[in-house]
Amino acid sequence: MSNSIERPRYYCSLGGALSTLEALPDTIPILHAAVGCAGSIAWAQNGGSGLQVGGYCGGLAVPSSNVSERDVVFGGVDRLHEQIGTTLELMDGELYVVITGCVTEIIGDDIRSVTAEYRAQGVDIVAANTGGFKGNSYLGYDIVLSELVKQYVAYDLPKAPKTVNILGIVPYMDAFWRGNLIGARRLLEKIGVTVNTFFTNEDTLDNLKNSSSAALNVVLSDVYGVDAARTYEEVHGVPFIQATLPVGPTASAELLRAVASALNLDVDVEAVIDEENRQYFRYLEPLADVYNDADLQKYAVVIADVNYAVAVTRFLIDDLGWLPVLTQFTDVLDEETQEIITAKLRTDDPIPAPKVVFDTNATEAIRYINELYPKQESDKYAETLTPAFVIGSSLDRSLATKIGAGHLSVTYPISNRAVLSRGYTGFAGGLSLVEDLLSAAVAAR
Amino acid sequence: MSITEVREVQKREDRLGACIVYGGSLCDIADKGKKCACLEDGERSFSQGSICLLLPGSSILNTIPDNVNIFHGAIGCGAPSHSQNANTRSGNVQRGNAVRDAIWVSTALNETDVISGAETKLYNAILDADKLYRPKTITVVATCVPGIIGDDVDGVIERAQSEVSARIVPVHCEGFKTKIWATAYDAVYHGLAKSAFDDPRFDDPIIKDDLYNERIAYERAHTVNLFSVSSMGYADETELTRYLNALDQKVNAFPNFANPDEMYKIKYAGLSISTCPTHDDYLLKHLEDEYNVPYVLKHMPIGIENTNIWIRDIAERLGKSAMAERLIARETVELEEALAKYHPFFKGKRVFISAGEFRALATANLLHDLGFEIAGIRSFHHDEFANVEYEKLLKNTDENLVINIANCQPFEEANLLNTIKPDLFLGHWNGNSTATKLGIPSHVIYNSGLAYLGYRGVFELARRLYRQLANPAFNRNLSRHTRLPYKADWYDKNPFTYIKSGIEVPEDFEERSEVSK
Repeated sequence: MSNSIERPRYYCSLGGALSTLEALPDTIPILHAAVGCAGSIAWAQNGGSGLQVGGYCGGLAVPSSNVSERDVVFGGVDRLHEQIGTTLELMDGELYVVITGCVTEIIGDDIRSVTAEYRAQGVDIVAANTGGFKGNSYLGYDIVLSELVKQYVAYDLPKAPKTVNILGIVPYMDAFWRGNLIGARRLLEKIGVTVNTFFTNEDTLDNLKNSSSAALNVVLSDVYGVDAARTYEEVHGVPFIQATLPVGPTASAELLRAVASALNLDVDVEAVIDEENRQYFRYLEPLADVYNDADLQKYAVVIADVNYAVAVTRFLIDDLGWLPVLTQFTDVLDEETQEIITAKLRTDDPIPAPKVVFDTNATEAIRYINELYPKQESDKYAETLTPAFVIGSSLDRSLATKIGAGHLSVTYPISNRAVLSRGYTGFAGGLSLVEDLLSAAVAAR
Repeated sequence: MSITEVREVQKREDRLGACIVYGGSLCDIADKGKKCACLEDGERSFSQGSICLLLPGSSILNTIPDNVNIFHGAIGCGAPSHSQNANTRSGNVQRGNAVRDAIWVSTALNETDVISGAETKLYNAILDADKLYRPKTITVVATCVPGIIGDDVDGVIERAQSEVSARIVPVHCEGFKTKIWATAYDAVYHGLAKSAFDDPRFDDPIIKDDLYNERIAYERAHTVNLFSVSSMGYADETELTRYLNALDQKVNAFPNFANPDEMYKIKYAGLSISTCPTHDDYLLKHLEDEYNVPYVLKHMPIGIENTNIWIRDIAERLGKSAMAERLIARETVELEEALAKYHPFFKGKRVFISAGEFRALATANLLHDLGFEIAGIRSFHHDEFANVEYEKLLKNTDENLVINIANCQPFEEANLLNTIKPDLFLGHWNGNSTATKLGIPSHVIYNSGLAYLGYRGVFELARRLYRQLANPAFNRNLSRHTRLPYKADWYDKNPFTYIKSGIEVPEDFEERSEVSK
């Protein structure tokens, strides 16, 4: 349905920008928007981000100009000017970032002239045009990061040859953002790399400020973070590589090799990978009996955003040994990206490749499944989708019920799990995913 | 003129003179409430993000079975539905239905739509939704963007209506147009009254027996409409229904989880009953004007005394006062016995409350009856309906009690809580983290999965508050290791520093709040 998107599994670019800023240390977002935007985003997090809402300055505590009908007629610049002034008086932060909503974007308020005035007074303040009609929350992440790269990140720093920045994991859209960033960090630290993850408890604003000194940006996504990485490249000359979100041993090993190669590291990467594999499989070892006795291998349906759809499908094929039959991407993606992604989900004989569909409407999944498993004249010897497992969002529980499958929420919206430090990246993250999948599969045992 | 003849509802600032900015004492607000219906509204030179009418609007619409909610706007506007969906799922299960998710779609307006208009997109989205989901109703929630670019949403709906089988309900929720999100209730009721109250086509029996008219009259005399606010869940609905059944009444619960095919029935009830005066006046007046359904709209059945007078008011209208007195006597004796063990524990503990005005005030009176001392109240807006509740509160508390009217604005709350240091805090959904980070035991003031209303609500709330106070380790521990995003000197300033006009902050305010400590 190109005229509408069913239960969009993201919010708007303002929401994505706000969530990104809420996750940055010591950062005060300033919304130049209508009164309800902050609340809508808080509720969206409340219902979809694994019970996490806001952060240091988030939820209903974010400063917002709350423009009204009068501002729509006369312009909201004066109101913004006043709001920034009082925010600086009252809110305790190191960095202030003004982001716009639909209303102020349509009426054409020149926010940059206002922030320029404050910047001239020595305030660390950044402006980003994020009006919600520009796109979804993933775009908002890229818009606001790109503006930070241009307006806040320091220029002309000496290069740190073994430092990388991680991009592509979007706070709150990925409920596991903290665990996933830490997982990626721990993984790359194994090969002696210093890692900036910007948003975790181990990061400071200085990491962001000095991030232009990094030798490489590592975008752990096929789509998210790419614009920000391009901005780094254009503005600060930091090159970037793209990789699949590294969930489990195979993808993690590939990432280690790719980063070591891009940085020309003098490290025995294969030895590091061997050691990580040794530890991973020591954990897995005692599962050998029950995994087989209980017949825990499944057919899988994956319905997710770009990061998880690729990473989980590959993990199931390459590491766990399940058989994904359908992978549905719920993001809006252009044809070129669709082709690149489809190529990533190819399999070698005799593993059947999953049917790959790009459709924002997840209730259509049952139609795709029915096409794969058409009704048979006699069902005595029919091929059926059993035993099956659905990996997606909490909205895909109804599909799992309909086809008699197990279910795990890993992608937005996640209303039925509490997520704090958990993550699925790295070798260790692969173990967590095995635990969660199998726990769901044996919940009634 | 009937409300169904106008396109959009009036914002509540204009219709009721509702306001969102005030800081002062109980005595002042009660006094001003007496003299004029409302306060003159002010503005803040610093403000924090809040909610708009879209949120309470969609929270009702998402519960309606066999409805598709079309958010006509940018892609994020319907996103709160992800949270509200939990209520839709559990509410269905509680009512004995299969678990099901709300259905909503977004027209996901982009830059091209902003420039060229999005009427065609909306038209097609309505047709698509009708084909794909076969809903009974399609509610079209119009948001800020179509409001500014000037889409004729009602015109599109009129054109699309003849093409689809669902009834299309326009709900205007342009967030920038009103500061008072309670306007949402009017907007939802307006849309439903306009499009969803038609009688079924083949309702009249072909053969009417001799007692037909008598039976219709009997039905009417024994059926009431119970208006369920979206913040009350099934537990509260069944509790209130229990009293109405005891008064020999059948109940049409409306609008939450109301079947669109049966909505018309509320036109034929003998009485409409509000559970929250701020919520319902718009529709109740319409039902009286157009369909001669009288209404009761004065008290909210939160707390023992309020529940008693809520029942008495209804019983009086039904001519069943004697039955009501027997019910009240039996219920209150039983409840008081059950509560006795909690009184010593709660006695003298100081509580701060923050919520929608009527709910906040009614809950304050309830907590007073449980033995708490009221230390401060924040209400999200102020309107004339609450004056009766302020009067009750004056009897129960110090007239210097701090009253703050704010559409959330947790910075004022942080300042007040830091000064007043209450033993307990009750706040709105997504409004408890300020108190929590200050280490104050806190409890949500509404949650559609929990009981708050009527006699059972008093007991269940007491049980939950006991639990919170018995072990507040979560909040206490969090407060030791986290902090609020305000500068240290904020806590030394007058909490209403950023209220810049309209409202006079009394000069002796700080002394007064010292006194009330």
